[in-house]
Amino acid sequence: MSYITVTDLQKTFTVRKKREKGHLTREKTLVQALKGVSFSVERGELVGYIGPNGAGKSTTVKILSGILTPDGGQAEVGGRIPWQQRKEHVRHIGVVFGQRSQLWWDVPIADSYALLKDIYQVPPQQHQKRLNELTEALDLGSLLRTPLRLLSLGQRMRAELCGSLLHSPELLFLDEPTIGLDAVSKLALRDFLQFENRQHGTTILLTTHDMEDIAALCSRVMVLGHGSKLFDGSLADLLSRYDTQRIISLRYDGDCALPPLPAGCESIREGDGYRITYAPQTVPTAQMLSLLQSAGPIRELTAQPQNIDHLIADMYREMDL
Amino acid sequence: MSRVKAYLSAFRMRWKMELQYRGAVIGGVLCQMFFGLILVALYRALYAGKPQARPIEDVVTYVWLQQAFFRMLLSSDGDLMDKIRTGSIAYDLCRPLSLYGYYYARIMAQKLLGSLLRAAPMLLFAALLPRGWGMALPSSFPALLVAALAVGLGLLCVCAIENITMAFTMRTLDSRGMQAMLNLLMMTLSGNILPLTLFPDAWQRVITLLPYAQLLDAPIRLYTGEWALWQAPRVLLTQGAWTIILLALGLMLWRKNQKRLVLQGG
Amino acid sequence: MGTVKLYLKSMAMLLKSQLEYPASFLMQTLAQLIMEGGEFMAVILIVDRFDHLNQWTPGDLFFFFGVMSVTFYLTECFGRGVTGAFPSMVRMGQLDTLLLRPRGVLTQVLCSAIDPRRITCIAVGAAALVMGSRMSGIQWTFLKGIALAESILLGGMMILGLFLIECVFCVYSVKSVEMVNALTYGGRSACQYPIDVYPRPLRLLFTVVAPFALTQHVPAAYILGKPLYHWPAWTAFVCPLAGGMVFAIMYCLFRRALRFYRSTGS
Repeated sequence: MSYITVTDLQKTFTVRKKREKGHLTREKTLVQALKGVSFSVERGELVGYIGPNGAGKSTTVKILSGILTPDGGQAEVGGRIPWQQRKEHVRHIGVVFGQRSQLWWDVPIADSYALLKDIYQVPPQQHQKRLNELTEALDLGSLLRTPLRLLSLGQRMRAELCGSLLHSPELLFLDEPTIGLDAVSKLALRDFLQFENRQHGTTILLTTHDMEDIAALCSRVMVLGHGSKLFDGSLADLLSRYDTQRIISLRYDGDCALPPLPAGCESIREGDGYRITYAPQTVPTAQMLSLLQSAGPIRELTAQPQNIDHLIADMYREMDL
Repeated sequence: MSRVKAYLSAFRMRWKMELQYRGAVIGGVLCQMFFGLILVALYRALYAGKPQARPIEDVVTYVWLQQAFFRMLLSSDGDLMDKIRTGSIAYDLCRPLSLYGYYYARIMAQKLLGSLLRAAPMLLFAALLPRGWGMALPSSFPALLVAALAVGLGLLCVCAIENITMAFTMRTLDSRGMQAMLNLLMMTLSGNILPLTLFPDAWQRVITLLPYAQLLDAPIRLYTGEWALWQAPRVLLTQGAWTIILLALGLMLWRKNQKRLVLQGG
Repeated sequence: MGTVKLYLKSMAMLLKSQLEYPASFLMQTLAQLIMEGGEFMAVILIVDRFDHLNQWTPGDLFFFFGVMSVTFYLTECFGRGVTGAFPSMVRMGQLDTLLLRPRGVLTQVLCSAIDPRRITCIAVGAAALVMGSRMSGIQWTFLKGIALAESILLGGMMILGLFLIECVFCVYSVKSVEMVNALTYGGRSACQYPIDVYPRPLRLLFTVVAPFALTQHVPAAYILGKPLYHWPAWTAFVCPLAGGMVFAIMYCLFRRALRFYRSTGS
């Protein structure tokens, strides 16, 4: 049996609209956040969970972490039903919300960790061992005596991660952990997550809008939209479905007009050169090249695949999200 | 002319905002009525043991008027305080207006509407209560007119006081302590916690001359007739004098602050 | 006893974090002192003018005031999570964070805030208590000590319970919190004075709904040697249990509210 099994999970929210002038009763609208989502995750998997805002990602995370009770369907994590055995369940999981802190703002982070130890009732030796391991892996040693409010965003995220992992959870939920981080911090964070996953076999479920995170970390991606699962498989598979376009940037020697392009191709002027988007399936690359050469001598030419963010945007558009 | 218009629109904006919190107003009014009832019951019990020179009806009226116009005293423009704390007041500094006038208009709108919205139902409730529990009628019609005028002057006064508090806030940034203290001073010395008429007589001679007593205490005494009509000019003059002094002081402080802020570049 | 240890550790940490801003902390503490000092002064001034309240001497009145103050502010100091911080915790989504930890939610809420500034209020209350005890010539016995401790402890439980209503409303996103304030802060103001000075409806309210009379006045009157309504001595030890009952009932409602929260989301 899989570590996480989710079957036909459903959740509907009632959204109360603000009272308008003259209306005594509030209007209520029902929003179906999850319309029967099913999936399973094996122990030790690193899964990316993506979808546009409002797709139901955080609702899933909240249900799986025991905060919310679903309206229908089943979910089990490590043999526990999260919302029925909340206290027992949360002992085994860790959650990091990218925009929310679980540490105490004005005290040194070491003090926060000491309190978390008591909250999770971790035996002292075990706590110390784990703390040493995490501070080393996350490079927090020199920051332990610093209050959270004095840390930079990158340092703070590392501190939060450490806090969420102190009780050695089997399962880690990450909700947009790299939001607002600079390149160095992002890379360090990804390295650490891979390390934690490999070293301890921690199962990680990552929701993010940053496709680079997914590309770097996750062997598997789930796409959620309008409360339903739309895709479940490897990132490569996902991309190959939508990755139909190539981009050529070129510059001619001297001023040279672009020849008329076949239907379906796009071109825009970029500085003193051009940028052409085409689909190799309809216009083979060789044909495109000879067409471009016919207009004049080419000084520079680069061909590249489409940007991953564009792909996802295209995909969302195609899935009508 | 256009300047006056700008202050008026600042006033209108705040007025509209106040109107949005009707639910909170209803809750607040009910709570305030309840507080009034408790105080009236207490003073009645005290009077039963040892009647005083001024009749119980005066104290009861005093309590109800204080409760009704409670909002006039309470400084609650948290929005503005946040602006000062976070430094986004810099935006306002860029406006082609006297900041003092701008905030004076804002505070006035809030206090005026805030207290009118609450005072009307409160006073109606208090007027319907049986004699000795509810509010008494004014001692005479002219007394009512003079009292209304005095409330107006009191409003000008309290807005000026609050602007001075603001000016201090801008200087000390984290000023919750300072603000709390000034608020308490206001609550005590304006007769909200204990009617000033029940303070020892010797104290009253001094306290009634302080600016805080001009806000509500003076109008209420004119209303109940404790201060007769012939004393009204003296009372109104005291109020007017304080208004001018406080306005001048506030204006001076804001000017200084503005200069400092501009020099520091926010 | 993991819970008690956790609570104490949390308190120590929160205290430390408040002391990170010593100047602001000091100012606010001072402001609290003036506030409660002002309240006490009002009682002193009332005593100065009226000598006594029904059968209660000035010393008795100070003692009642002291018991109420100490109980109320001890609760606000150590129960800050419930009495003040909870609404913002719901708004900011911190309640979710609490649900992610393997501990009871109420425990964590209580562990999440402390208000040490109240120490000055407690001090004023304690001073009033000692003053009242001296003036009324209370002969302290072991039993009277027990009665006082029970009154403060169970009175605190009751106040915590009353504030829990606010938390419950907050979870159901009911806005009119002011109505609850009538019970909590209104109860504190009213029951600074012994219950028998009030008319019957208020007596009923503060005996049956928010039983300040049972947790504070019955034991205090017993200690003063003037039993309330001439009730027998054992009532002084049994009546405060009502405070525990209020807490228990509200706790059940709070749990129900949490279940609602978890089934609806925020």
